[in-house]
Amino acid sequence: MVTIDELFRLAPYAAHPGEHYGLLRAAVREAVQHHCGRCPAFDRWYRKQGVDPSAEIRDLADVPFLPVSIFKRMSLESIGEQEVVRVLRSSATSSQSPSRVVLDRVTRDRQMRTLGVLLSALMGPARRPFVVLDAAAVQGADLELSARVAGLRGYLMMASETHYALENQSGSLSLNVEKLAALLEQFQAKQVPVCLIGYTYMLYQYVVAPLVRTGRRLPLPDGSMVLHFGGWKRLAKQAVDRERLNAEVAQVFPMAQTCVRDVYGFTEQLGLIYPDDGRGVRPTPVYSEVIVRDPITLKPVADGAPGLLEFITPLPNSYPGIALLLDDMGRIVSRDQGHDGRYGTRFEVLGRAQGAEIRGCGDTLPEEVYRVRA
Amino acid sequence: MKIYVLFDELGRHIEPGGDPEECPVEASPDRLVDGLKRGQEKLRTSSIDDLIGLCDAAGQAWTTPGSEAARMIGSLSIGFLPLWLRRANLEMLVAQAFRGNLKAIDEFVPSGGGNGRRHRAQPRGILVHWVAGNVPLLGMISLIQGLLSKNANLVKVSRQNAGILPYFLEALGKVRYKRPDGAEISGTLLTDAVRAVYMDREDPAATALSTLADVRIAWGGREAVESIMNLPRRFGTEDIVFGPKTSFVVVGADMLANLGEARRVASFVARDTVALGQRGCNSPHTVFVERGGTVTPEVFAGLISEELGRVARPVAPDTAPQEAFQILTWRAEYDMRGHAWYSEGVSWSVFYSEKDCGLASPCYGRTLFVRPVDNVFDVAAFCSVNTQTAGLATGERRLKLAEALTAKGIERCPDVGHMSLYEAPWDGMYPMDRMVRWVSA
Repeated sequence: MVTIDELFRLAPYAAHPGEHYGLLRAAVREAVQHHCGRCPAFDRWYRKQGVDPSAEIRDLADVPFLPVSIFKRMSLESIGEQEVVRVLRSSATSSQSPSRVVLDRVTRDRQMRTLGVLLSALMGPARRPFVVLDAAAVQGADLELSARVAGLRGYLMMASETHYALENQSGSLSLNVEKLAALLEQFQAKQVPVCLIGYTYMLYQYVVAPLVRTGRRLPLPDGSMVLHFGGWKRLAKQAVDRERLNAEVAQVFPMAQTCVRDVYGFTEQLGLIYPDDGRGVRPTPVYSEVIVRDPITLKPVADGAPGLLEFITPLPNSYPGIALLLDDMGRIVSRDQGHDGRYGTRFEVLGRAQGAEIRGCGDTLPEEVYRVRA
Repeated sequence: MKIYVLFDELGRHIEPGGDPEECPVEASPDRLVDGLKRGQEKLRTSSIDDLIGLCDAAGQAWTTPGSEAARMIGSLSIGFLPLWLRRANLEMLVAQAFRGNLKAIDEFVPSGGGNGRRHRAQPRGILVHWVAGNVPLLGMISLIQGLLSKNANLVKVSRQNAGILPYFLEALGKVRYKRPDGAEISGTLLTDAVRAVYMDREDPAATALSTLADVRIAWGGREAVESIMNLPRRFGTEDIVFGPKTSFVVVGADMLANLGEARRVASFVARDTVALGQRGCNSPHTVFVERGGTVTPEVFAGLISEELGRVARPVAPDTAPQEAFQILTWRAEYDMRGHAWYSEGVSWSVFYSEKDCGLASPCYGRTLFVRPVDNVFDVAAFCSVNTQTAGLATGERRLKLAEALTAKGIERCPDVGHMSLYEAPWDGMYPMDRMVRWVSA
């Protein structure tokens, strides 16, 4: 794993793509060989694609990719049972069954290191107070709350102190405005920038919307940031888009809209995060690459054209999640150096891939129809 | 109330791929209904022979090589439609529906009781068809039956493929039929009794259509059909529901005695899968293959894949991104735990695992799940009112198996290769019989 380790020692956005691609391709090849050697199901699938695992990778788009939902169907492990240190399960909000991936020490360490490096690139190296836009998951908290808090635990490595903005009273969440105002005033007095962090729908539903309704404004110290993640599905139902959310966040916490950052990522490649620039555009770090594929031909599309998003990284050591196709649509915006001086392939996430508009008389029937009766 | 008029006495107002919301708007259905009633009166006084003659002429015209309609039919993979419109087929269908005598829709005919009594079929009046967007063919078939039973027809099309039905209505209006006595009649005799409309699901016009209907005919998925049936209606209104169903193929070991025979059956399976873009309720998704033949179920799955590769289009433009993603997930799963055969893009896939059992949940995109069974009669356990067509390749056991499957809920047991052909009975009924009132004298 010499090459993979070498890759993860690079600064995340400093290298021109031409400079690090060779290293990334070599690291992915190393990862492919590792997983083919240790995960028989993956090896079988990989060879079925007609690609030799030991062959040199000329183009990352040539690496066979797995649809991410395979981790909902199959238990794919590249380590022995005794090496498992943790089992991750994705939220199952939009599907019946959660993803399941196992972590070993190597994967966990890479995840933590990568996340730390990417968060430092986003917020600066100094730790700062974090205000979590949720309730604290005390013992006995419901499973959904526990899962939410677990989902943002990694981010808290950048926290000098952690506070929770919401209160959980008999399972009902609400914002304690006065408590939050007092807390923020303290930081304001000390001029310590803070980070407000939480799920996108929680930020809007429990914090921003109530403050907008009451006309309350809570100033934040200079350099503060609002980080949110988890996707827009729930807010789309309320016709809240990025523009409206950012505008309303900037209204209740007077700040530049570019300080409101939407973070994209997924359980199956935990550690890699893709914060946007406040306008929905995200650069890839040197540790991964994004490929956009035509949903019908599965071939890469031209930059700018929409398609299914694929992410490729050598990060996972304990499960073969190296080249994963998501059911999110997106497009590549640019491969040039950004205004911020950073390199990386810049992409946008356009939302969840659409299903067939109408299936009519061939519609999918209730699942019990397909359940075999004894 | 906003009713977008896609086709009326002035012709069509939408291109085949057009937006229905750019069509002329009516604030109530009154004008449409007045025109329909005039059109229906002309139908009532015409003979069934003339009406079938016009349909037959359309069937001929639409198979003329190089014609625009033939190209459209080819692009929609509905080559069955012009064949279905031919005289021999329609005369049989009408006769089946009208107690063996197609003249019963024209006049009183002997009722066959030996008592001198006569009966006839009278059209019920206004049929309102809610047509699903997945299979334009079925909307046309529903409508033609409404015309042959001499009813007025108000067709509410779905947004998807909204312009297809108006296109064929215009083509039908241009058809000419020369009667045996030399007189020529125009296809407008049929199309004057049709209006095609579109409206938003939430628009009160949906209720207006429902309450003016003498017969409500609903094709579609469960949600769509339920919402139509929940609309208010007049007392005595008849409902004809063609709701969601799933279909499969059964192949007996006796048809797998040699590779040549097995390949022939596999080609029929592939043809049924590709027809209607696998979006019809009569499209197969599961193929049950009996063990014990010279050709094993797994080898047979491979043969199907070869045949699908021959007949499926290289690119399936109607596959939605989410469907493509699901197909890819199944491919990866079967590559790992079973066997998967598939095209380069997502135009077709075949999956097999020795351990699989029961009906597969449809994946669409010309995807088949091949599942082994010890005995073809084991398949009866998977049948219910939710299953529609079982395409059979079971040799001499065909009728006996059909008995077992239909007793458990299956409604059609055609030979494999004929699953996509619309026929009567359909979904447990002779539809035209439900579009008329039987009266006696």
